[in-house]
Amino acid sequence: MSTAAPAPLVDEALAADLADASLTLARRFAAGATLWCLAPAWEPHAHHVAVEFVHPVVVGKRALPAVALTGPDLVPSVRISVRPGDVVLAVAAADDSAVASVMRRAPAWGVTTLWIGNGERPPQGAADHVLWLDDPAPSLPATGGFVLLYHVLWELTHVCFEHPGLLTTAPDCTDEVCVTCSDEGRLAEVLTPASGLDPATARTAQGTERVDTTLVGPVAPGDLVLVHAGLAISRIDPEEP
Amino acid sequence: MRFVDEFRDPAAARRLLTAISGLAGDEEFKFMEVCGGHTHTIYRHGLEHVLPANIELVHGPGCPVCVIPMGRVDDAIWLAEQPDVVFTTFGDMMRVPGSNGNLLDAKARGADVRFVYSPLDALRIAVDNPDKRVVFFAVGFETTAPSTAVTLVRARELGVRNFSVFSNHVTIVPPIKAILDSPDLRLSGFLGPGHVSTVVGNRPYRFVPEVYGKPLVVAGFEPLDILASVAMLLRQIREGRCEVENQYSRVVRPEGNPAALALLAQVFELRPHFEWRGLGFISQSGLRLREDFADLDAEQVYDLPGVRIADPKACQCGEVLKGVLKPWECKVFGTACTPETPIGTCMVSPEGACAAYYNFGRMHRDAAQLVGQSRR
Repeated sequence: MSTAAPAPLVDEALAADLADASLTLARRFAAGATLWCLAPAWEPHAHHVAVEFVHPVVVGKRALPAVALTGPDLVPSVRISVRPGDVVLAVAAADDSAVASVMRRAPAWGVTTLWIGNGERPPQGAADHVLWLDDPAPSLPATGGFVLLYHVLWELTHVCFEHPGLLTTAPDCTDEVCVTCSDEGRLAEVLTPASGLDPATARTAQGTERVDTTLVGPVAPGDLVLVHAGLAISRIDPEEP
Repeated sequence: MRFVDEFRDPAAARRLLTAISGLAGDEEFKFMEVCGGHTHTIYRHGLEHVLPANIELVHGPGCPVCVIPMGRVDDAIWLAEQPDVVFTTFGDMMRVPGSNGNLLDAKARGADVRFVYSPLDALRIAVDNPDKRVVFFAVGFETTAPSTAVTLVRARELGVRNFSVFSNHVTIVPPIKAILDSPDLRLSGFLGPGHVSTVVGNRPYRFVPEVYGKPLVVAGFEPLDILASVAMLLRQIREGRCEVENQYSRVVRPEGNPAALALLAQVFELRPHFEWRGLGFISQSGLRLREDFADLDAEQVYDLPGVRIADPKACQCGEVLKGVLKPWECKVFGTACTPETPIGTCMVSPEGACAAYYNFGRMHRDAAQLVGQSRR
């Protein structure tokens, strides 16, 4: 009698994704990032990820700053917590609307994103790193599959720290872009709407900017717009994939 | 050199590359990206090297700085050197060569040339300096023209009289048509511009599949967007479809931005002709201010020399812009023409095809060897 070997939980592709995500995390931590952990449907995962990175359980390894964000009003909590350069890690299903909204806004906050989940994948490019288990079983979040993923992520992050040469990226020889030629469009989240002669202000990865919103109609704090040469040219639905 | 693992969502990038290889098979494909922003993403992330060798990306005329003819730059320098003028411009125009130096040289000679992020900043300079005459050098496609239009309307509302705009805005569709009419280019399809399309929408491109039988996919600017758009083009070809598709639907609506289009129509009108560097005169491709805004139009307020200067003979920007020549095939590439001392405008802006090749060293090994041999 012969039995087929069970499919491995982490296949080759997911292993590559884990390695990529760990290197990104190590680079961000090396530059001073804090990791913000979310898991609206399974809050223990958020606490578990945070404690994993914070506790220096292996002798000689540094504690990495990580905080679990739980409770209601997830988007406002993340908005107020993160600084440019930070990382947001979510353990959530692809249809979690609060997490999707955080992921969509993250570029305006200058934040790197990681999304762990199972079943149907989020849309392409929904996060900077998507670590996904294909098994759609609803019980999977309780079986240890995610725990294995973020444990490996934590360990590999420390492996990257052992190779300091990996932690800094070579600067691009030219990273300047021209507003017009590059057809630039930067994501911005409205802070205050226009009032009288004062233009709206908005948050972008570069900081707070004045933005003219004449062409996108009235805006409210939290609205996402695309900015080109100081002018909002398009409005972006924060919930639509 | 970047690798797939540095793209956003590398897992998705790997899956797309597998799909692209499967769809492409052994056939040769040549797709043109119209937009300079796409060219920049392609070079910066080394996309040419992760795509299968039988898929070639050809770089189109989508850098509005690269297509400004020399005579217009001379006019800009002349304007900058007028008494009491503060000449404002986007950063990249500063180094574009005219027939006798560039705007930086004019600044060194004492002209008050300042670079701004937005035309609204130029208007602010005018308001703060009532004793100066502020001119804004407006360049760009339909993405940028609305910000100039908003500024002009704002200047009118505020009653600002010491401000004018030197309009060199161009439109995207005529050059695409000119390229499609060019007999020496065989293209399999187009990557359509992303942010221009947030303003104009998808409809203006319908003639590309309908009249010329080429598919077009409006593409976003992340490496993943470009890969997804290449896959969409190949899928259209494999399924025998030929249409305009929108990969960048998270930002681009089919109708564009109607408020921006209405404002453009209120402020600008098409010029009968506008000269494009390397492409020559293209009819109805440039925007000038309407008569209602004549008092804010630098071309009406000042008596510009308006001399037409032929492109330097050695420069083959025209062929590069049309995608007929690769930048390194130009005779002066990397020798007489470098980003420090550009001859042609393709070498000036980081989005220019030649500067991008030069800065990021994106040359296939065999091509580099060929260039090396020819220089010995």
